[in-house]
Amino acid sequence: MTKTRCTDQVILDLWHPLAALAEVRAGVVVDTVLLEERLSLAIDGKGSAAVWRDRADLAEGSLVDVAAVDGKLPVKLAYGYIWTSLGNPPADLFPIPEFDEPDRRKLNAATVGVNVSAPRAIENFLDMGHFPYVHTDILGAEPHTEVKEYDVEISVDRDEILATRCRFFQPMASTTSTEGADVDYIYRVPHPYCSVLYKSSPVDESRLDVIAVFLQPVDQEHVRAHMMLCILDEENEDKVIKRFQQTIFGQDKPILENQFPKRLPLDPRAETPIRADKSAIAYRRWLSQKGVTYGVIPAAT
Amino acid sequence: MLDTAKTRWHPVAATYDLPFRHVFHAQLLGREFAVWRADDGYVNVWENRCLHRGVRLSIGINDGRELKCQYHGWRYSNRTAGCTYIPAHPADAPARTITNRTFAAVERYGLIWSAEEPQGEVPELPGLAEGELLTLRGIPVNAPADVVAARLEGYRFQPNGRTDGSDAKVSVEASNEFSVALRAVDGEASTLAVFFVQPVDSNRSVIRGVLDGKVEGAVRLAVLHHHNDLLSKLRDIAEHEAQAQPVPAPLEPVIDRVSPELAEMPEETKHGRKATIRVEVARKWQAADGIAGFELRPIKGLLPTFQPGAHIDVHLPNGLIRQYSITNGPGESDSYIIGVKLERDSKGGSTCLHETVRQGDVLAISEPRNNFPLRRDAMKTIFVAGGIGITPLLAMAQALSNQSLNFELHYFAQNEAQLAFPEKTACLGTSLKPHLGLSPEQTGARLREILSGYRSDAHLYLCGPGPMLEAARHVAAEAGWPETAVHFEYFKNTNVIDDSSSFEVALARSCVTLKVPAGRTILDVMREAGIDMPSSCEQGACGTCLATVIEGEPDHQDVYLNDAERKSGTKIMTCVSRAKSARLVLDL
Amino acid sequence: MITLYDYELSGNCYKLRLLMGMLGVDWTTVPIDFYPGREHKSEWFLKINPLGQLPVIEDDGLVLRDAQAILVYLASKYDAVGTWYPRDNPALLGEIGQWLAFADGITGTASAARLHDALFYDFDVEAARAGAHRLFRILDEHLWFGEQEGRDWICSASHPTIADIACFPYIMLSEEGGVPRQDYPAIRRWCDRVKRIKGFTVMSGVFPAGPAKAA
Repeated sequence: MTKTRCTDQVILDLWHPLAALAEVRAGVVVDTVLLEERLSLAIDGKGSAAVWRDRADLAEGSLVDVAAVDGKLPVKLAYGYIWTSLGNPPADLFPIPEFDEPDRRKLNAATVGVNVSAPRAIENFLDMGHFPYVHTDILGAEPHTEVKEYDVEISVDRDEILATRCRFFQPMASTTSTEGADVDYIYRVPHPYCSVLYKSSPVDESRLDVIAVFLQPVDQEHVRAHMMLCILDEENEDKVIKRFQQTIFGQDKPILENQFPKRLPLDPRAETPIRADKSAIAYRRWLSQKGVTYGVIPAAT
Repeated sequence: MLDTAKTRWHPVAATYDLPFRHVFHAQLLGREFAVWRADDGYVNVWENRCLHRGVRLSIGINDGRELKCQYHGWRYSNRTAGCTYIPAHPADAPARTITNRTFAAVERYGLIWSAEEPQGEVPELPGLAEGELLTLRGIPVNAPADVVAARLEGYRFQPNGRTDGSDAKVSVEASNEFSVALRAVDGEASTLAVFFVQPVDSNRSVIRGVLDGKVEGAVRLAVLHHHNDLLSKLRDIAEHEAQAQPVPAPLEPVIDRVSPELAEMPEETKHGRKATIRVEVARKWQAADGIAGFELRPIKGLLPTFQPGAHIDVHLPNGLIRQYSITNGPGESDSYIIGVKLERDSKGGSTCLHETVRQGDVLAISEPRNNFPLRRDAMKTIFVAGGIGITPLLAMAQALSNQSLNFELHYFAQNEAQLAFPEKTACLGTSLKPHLGLSPEQTGARLREILSGYRSDAHLYLCGPGPMLEAARHVAAEAGWPETAVHFEYFKNTNVIDDSSSFEVALARSCVTLKVPAGRTILDVMREAGIDMPSSCEQGACGTCLATVIEGEPDHQDVYLNDAERKSGTKIMTCVSRAKSARLVLDL
Repeated sequence: MITLYDYELSGNCYKLRLLMGMLGVDWTTVPIDFYPGREHKSEWFLKINPLGQLPVIEDDGLVLRDAQAILVYLASKYDAVGTWYPRDNPALLGEIGQWLAFADGITGTASAARLHDALFYDFDVEAARAGAHRLFRILDEHLWFGEQEGRDWICSASHPTIADIACFPYIMLSEEGGVPRQDYPAIRRWCDRVKRIKGFTVMSGVFPAGPAKAA
């Protein structure tokens, strides 16, 4: 096996997202970076795809016959993205059953580069307490700042973190009301660098919108964040939906880029948690237990 | 060189870098600082990182009294850097040990000085007289400090007033690895220039220059431009030189770990009635008719962080211990101000403070405790104060006022002369609503007006004499205020304590069972058995000695718990309350 | 009413939202999927702006492109007091023009570095960052001496002008392109002052300032 700059076998063996399928032109080489390794990818019009280590004869932008590429890395097409692995990935990616529901809109809100480690970005995704301060008048508004008690468990059979019974006050909770109300959230962390959020749908109160962040670790302190939407909305144009999500993500960006250290410290005494950070505490422990070392500052043993 | 640099004082900012309500982003030897001046003039030099999630505080907000983190709105107090409010948990008082790392700060020669581990004092510079100086524009240089300092030895400039000339004689008067003192002489004119090289990081520095002599107007600007131009040239040369050398690795400052109890959601850990702080009565004055104000300043060091609603135990010369609320507004952390009413039936506490204690006396006080925390997530907050009950509510009202949150402070008193701390209440504007000279019936009627029309997201805070509190709680309940929205603090417990029962107390976590005989309290018996339990008023009013009941039926005799808390049977004030059942199991 | 062809994360579009907010002018937004959709290079948009750039406004039948040009237009037409672009003060107009060009330089450097880091534009990011630092050094020195002379704003007037609006966004967003502002304290103070102008609004990536006056 080729030597990799990343030596964290747990991370090497994972599936990692590289690009949104909708944004890759068929038969054209696209370059990217994963775990400090330069990779190239291409898809064809028939739904096959290839990922390989960057090489001179297949430069970015050139045309390629996907089937003819040799030395391919593992590939999976899932949730609208092309995924690969630099190690021995599991057969399946984590499930998101809602993705198969036919009446949902599925799109990549954006792929954005952020100067932060993947675990810091995951922790921010799990956090509700910052809504009134960072997403002011959108996801929260002062003085409604309370993070109510919620439940967190690490599901043993699924090996994922699950935070349930989460509620937070949102100024315009649904499309039909101008009043604020508590909105329900469920958070899953099924992958060290991916998280899936379920949130009250503003159009159908019996169902939940699904918003996921899939982080592509460029290196330990840089990510490409892919934002996947799988939502109930028959009204708005794609670009209006994307604009909303990009606004939210753009608000988180300066916070993430001003966190120090950039890698997530796993020592429980590195930072001060509060009850609202239950899911983050569980996440840090889970990474420690898995032995993840990439993108984190491991606790001294 | 950089090892010894840690113990030296270095400039990290200039006075002009700290204008009104700004947060300056400084760095010294790789460590970043958030440097900010509070409205009271105090300069804070803090580690540039919120203890919660590591976000830089230099992107936070200086509201003049506190620094607010941009990520979750945590508020840190001027001076102490203690966290005073965590918005995600509005009902909790944050453990006051959540304190950011602070560094020494001294303002001299128009510069702010700090050090990682300072030894000695900020250097005395002969020839530089405070107030007769000109501080130059700081020049950041992408080069190591030693490269810059070496270049500065060859710096040539014109003395003040002769900047259009070019033939001054410049001599080095003194130099060391981080500073160079030069004198330029041109005829009669002579100027001393002292340059400090602030080692920002292994490959970054700031040149901070100070000139002797006062110059004004156009000459001043000419001098500033003169040095700015010359130093910019020097910078370019130093950067060129540094580029030719291998780039040193950036310094990696060690970030302190937080204390073990802060690694989890912290619990209050201060035990007993300990008077750990010595304060001097810096000022004693008549705060109102029958009310003495006391300003208590620390003998040394800083006072601990307080939150609105907090009280301290004051240990009096006659051996008594009394509780007084801190009336300070947010960020007013250089002293505690308390108000003491002379009680007609004083058992010696208020009389002692009014008659015996004088300005200059030293008293022992406890750390502040907050059993009357203020939520700041209400759409509207109503404060109702009766007489001296104003004191905790005054601190709360100032906190909300500082954050521009919506509140009313209703202040009941006999007459205008009895309204305490007029200089503080005056800052509250029209939110302050005095109600003077009302009879008990009129007070009841007024309370019904004030408390009518409860709407969700409103909170009510009450403090005053027992009968008025009872009346106000009753009115609030009638007007539909839920108990969870009504918060109160009694001065004292006027209930007649019935301590005739005897029962058993089992402490679940400590695995001991104790007998509490008639005439003794749970708290006493626990203390005797070596169980360390915090307490303050020891009469069932302040809430410090609260314990959780796992099993058994409490016999509540306190005035701290509200009715719902009493009915739930899960909490007990161990200083006065007892058991109706033969056995109580406590979570201790 | 003014129509703004807008992309939320664009600092150039934000310049116009900022000024219109401060002038109290209403507008409607046509969102453009700048990223990832590249709608500004679409056929329909190229008919509106053949340069394929944002922002563009339409007002009373007039179609205008270029952030700086639109600032000039908006201030000339909608600023009743006439301070943002004082038409009767040639020296000040000259100064404003000079700094509007400087703002274009900031766009070409600091904004380019941000596009590289955040949206993966194929730019020479080291050159862009170095260029941004060169400009920031010049502006910091200019603002520092301004403070010494009692001047708060970029141009020599006692009030802000569209030069401040034109320079502000890509300075505030520079850290997203790996250009820290730590070495430019006078710029950081000026940013606080801009944030305290009445009618100031934020965009994603820009935080509000604290209260300027004692409560």
